[in-house]
Amino acid sequence: MMRDTMTSAERMGAVMKGEKPDRVPVIPFIFGHCALVAGQPLACVFDNPEASFKVQLQAAELYGYDGTPLYAYASAGGWEFGGDVEFPYKKYSGATVVTRHPAATEEEALNLKVPEDITKAGALPLALEMARLQMKHHMPVTMHIGSILSWTGSVIGEERMLTWMIRKPELVHSVLDKVAQFQVKVAEHYVKEFGPEPIMAFVGAATESNRLISPKQFETFVLPYVSRVNQSISDLGVQVFFAHICGEQNKNLKLWQKVPFGKRAVMSFGREVCLKTAMEMFPNSIIAGNVDPSLIQEGKPEEVLDQARECIEMAKYHPGGYVLMSGCDVPPLAPPVNVFQLIKASREFGRY
Amino acid sequence: MGGDKMTSQERWEALVRREKLDRVPCLQFILGHTAVVNGKPIAKIYDDAAASLACQRNAMEMYGYDGLILHGWANAGGFEFGGEIEYPYRRYTGAPMVTKNPVQSEEDAANLVVPKDITSAGSVPVALEFSRLQYKLGMPVTIQVGSPLTWAGSICGEERLMPWLIKKPDLVHHVLRKITDFILAKTELWINEFGPERMMAFDLCIETNKLYSPRQFETFAFPYLKEIHGKLTDMGVAIFLSHICGEQNKNLKFWSQLGFGKRGMISVGKEITLQAASEAFPACVIMGHVDPVVIQEGTPEQVLALCEQSIAEGKNHPGGYALMSGCEVPPQAPPSNVAQMVKACRLYGQY
Amino acid sequence: MAKTEEILERLKQCVLKGDDQGAVSAANDAVASGIDPDKAIMEGLVAGMGEAGALYEQGEYYVPELMVSSEALYAGLAILQPLVLSKGTNTKKGVVIIGAVQGDVHDIGKNLVKLMLQVGGFEVHDLGRDVDMEKFVEEGQRLKADLICMSALMTTTMIAIKDVMPTLRAKVPTAKILIGGAPLNQKIADAWGADGYGESAMDAVKVAQRLMKCAV
Repeated sequence: MMRDTMTSAERMGAVMKGEKPDRVPVIPFIFGHCALVAGQPLACVFDNPEASFKVQLQAAELYGYDGTPLYAYASAGGWEFGGDVEFPYKKYSGATVVTRHPAATEEEALNLKVPEDITKAGALPLALEMARLQMKHHMPVTMHIGSILSWTGSVIGEERMLTWMIRKPELVHSVLDKVAQFQVKVAEHYVKEFGPEPIMAFVGAATESNRLISPKQFETFVLPYVSRVNQSISDLGVQVFFAHICGEQNKNLKLWQKVPFGKRAVMSFGREVCLKTAMEMFPNSIIAGNVDPSLIQEGKPEEVLDQARECIEMAKYHPGGYVLMSGCDVPPLAPPVNVFQLIKASREFGRY
Repeated sequence: MGGDKMTSQERWEALVRREKLDRVPCLQFILGHTAVVNGKPIAKIYDDAAASLACQRNAMEMYGYDGLILHGWANAGGFEFGGEIEYPYRRYTGAPMVTKNPVQSEEDAANLVVPKDITSAGSVPVALEFSRLQYKLGMPVTIQVGSPLTWAGSICGEERLMPWLIKKPDLVHHVLRKITDFILAKTELWINEFGPERMMAFDLCIETNKLYSPRQFETFAFPYLKEIHGKLTDMGVAIFLSHICGEQNKNLKFWSQLGFGKRGMISVGKEITLQAASEAFPACVIMGHVDPVVIQEGTPEQVLALCEQSIAEGKNHPGGYALMSGCEVPPQAPPSNVAQMVKACRLYGQY
Repeated sequence: MAKTEEILERLKQCVLKGDDQGAVSAANDAVASGIDPDKAIMEGLVAGMGEAGALYEQGEYYVPELMVSSEALYAGLAILQPLVLSKGTNTKKGVVIIGAVQGDVHDIGKNLVKLMLQVGGFEVHDLGRDVDMEKFVEEGQRLKADLICMSALMTTTMIAIKDVMPTLRAKVPTAKILIGGAPLNQKIADAWGADGYGESAMDAVKVAQRLMKCAV
């Protein structure tokens, strides 16, 4: 196995600048798992920024990967607009869940207001505390601002939103518009507090999956708003975006191509999108992915290593740059030895 | 990796050969934990040779430590002499447990004999398979050789054995004699198959001074340890590793009289200072002694601090030094804590 | 009187020396002499065990010595305790549940604590070793335990104590919880919310007595 000749910061810096790193960087995309390998409650990555920062750093040190700590959760939006959440303290729970959606009725949706003070909205206080830690430690300041449809689903209730997309599209548009306004307000605050240079806008697009919506619905309900938000953020000076295009989204890719992602984008994909396809569709973006998280949890170490090797061999020389990543959040209960296979693969097969 | 100038293999060989090292090695006494980080049942470490070896190798690669990989457990003996055990499949169990001692009475003890077929006694089949795999991969071939008094507790049940030390000493000596004969016969088996040069004999000795007086150690532990250590040393066994568990300061004067093969390695817990270990075993590698409870329950910073302290105390021992936990790394220890040990060697252990 | 003192001293010395037969003989003599059986137990047998414990703390006695002493104590108790029970004046100081936790078969220390609490006048229910954690809760509820003692000798098994603590507190809220065993310490006991920690078997008995006085 090769000996590293760069630090993590140097390696990621090289990729971001379009330069050659010593080897393929590894960002597992890893939250709850970090808490568990530190012997802490899983929920701490969501409800305790200081602890979250610490356990994420400790996991990076344990495994030797290149990502830095960040704050995000898939069901964001509902709490921010006044709903209720439950942190994952129960057995088998792995992430924050919305227990009461703030726009669960037509009336509530019509009357939905954009929160006045974004710094107090939902998880924003926690996210900002994490951002301040990132800034203090000269790390990218991650700003969770999407995806637009996932957040809207969290505000309305996913099942309800999908039905309204057909029966009450104007309601969905109304909420989408408010969510977009909120996300821009968040970006304005972040830029005011941290300046645009250190910021990396993070978009986690799960509800946009073609297992849920059609490309037509993406075009109608997602594209206008995500484009608007991203452009506004770019106009504020934020140059770097990280987009996690979750799950089966092959039919959306042509539409994602139309979405502005600042000057430098990292586009991460799940197993469902072939890395070759991603490379063709996004030639100038850094492509990240796409080892199957289920394999990381249930497979043998050699199977994980093999799939990671395949990913590296396929994408290593992508002109826009490449980062080895899991296809989605590394399962909290994944055996550590399996997670380590990603770094091992990078060292064995990812040397430049 | 991490700025190291040697690989783990190179570092281990340099330690054994008394050659120059890049930094303090990290040798782990780590069994069930390797199964946990592989997502496997802890019991696999004990009942499945191939799985055990794979788990231990994978864990060693992930953490970056420099050894040890072995098959055995402290309360051995009961199974080998015909008792029953339970492998640790249940929650909270971490090692095989004797569920029926082969000796339940004075009569049983008096009639205790060495099993006729060593190769099928208790854990020997799995241990032998494990050693064959080690041999095939060019690794040190490990064999557990005691300790006899610890095994006597497993065979008779500690609560039965202890009063006998006072009331029926001859019976205890009889049991110890049989155990020693078994261990020597088992070792012969290993030497005939693998040769002594590749062998690492190890004993896990829990006859602490919290249980036994130094006089009881001298009478019931020392003579048999001396015999085993002496004979194995005479047979040319390459490495002898003794885990002197817990509070055994008053036993050190006996331990220091034993032979330790061509290269002795002594592991101690926090109860024995590395200074005392260094004085008792000037020519042996001393290993230790980070508190396993802190590795399980403490913060990474606390673990790192203890490692730093151990390294400072042991680093320059003339016989050689390796950072190790004071006893088995707890299976449920947070991996981020375990990782502090190699980190400490890199930060504080440079030569 | 002199004879009483002599017999009490014999009981004590037999326990101290681990002389089962001597303890039986002295216990029979105590009965024959009309010595109050409670007095014979406490000032003879238990006093001997107390001295054995003190010698252990001083590093003179070790566990084998404690065990033979306890065997002698049990031998004498077998004669004297039925007489105490038949008097009907035996007032229990409290109900105690004791056991070695799930996965742990080390019970020597636990047995010593059990013995000392029994002779100290507590009603002790020994759950044994490798006890399912649910059983501590169930028996604690059923017996309305005043004190629940859990021992763990390994890092793997000590976790069971941490895990069961919230359930014990919720379901047996009036019980005091005392823990002991090699990998534990006062800091861990405090962090896990135990009421007491025994550094050794003898220490555990003292802590138990302190906790029960507080409880009564």
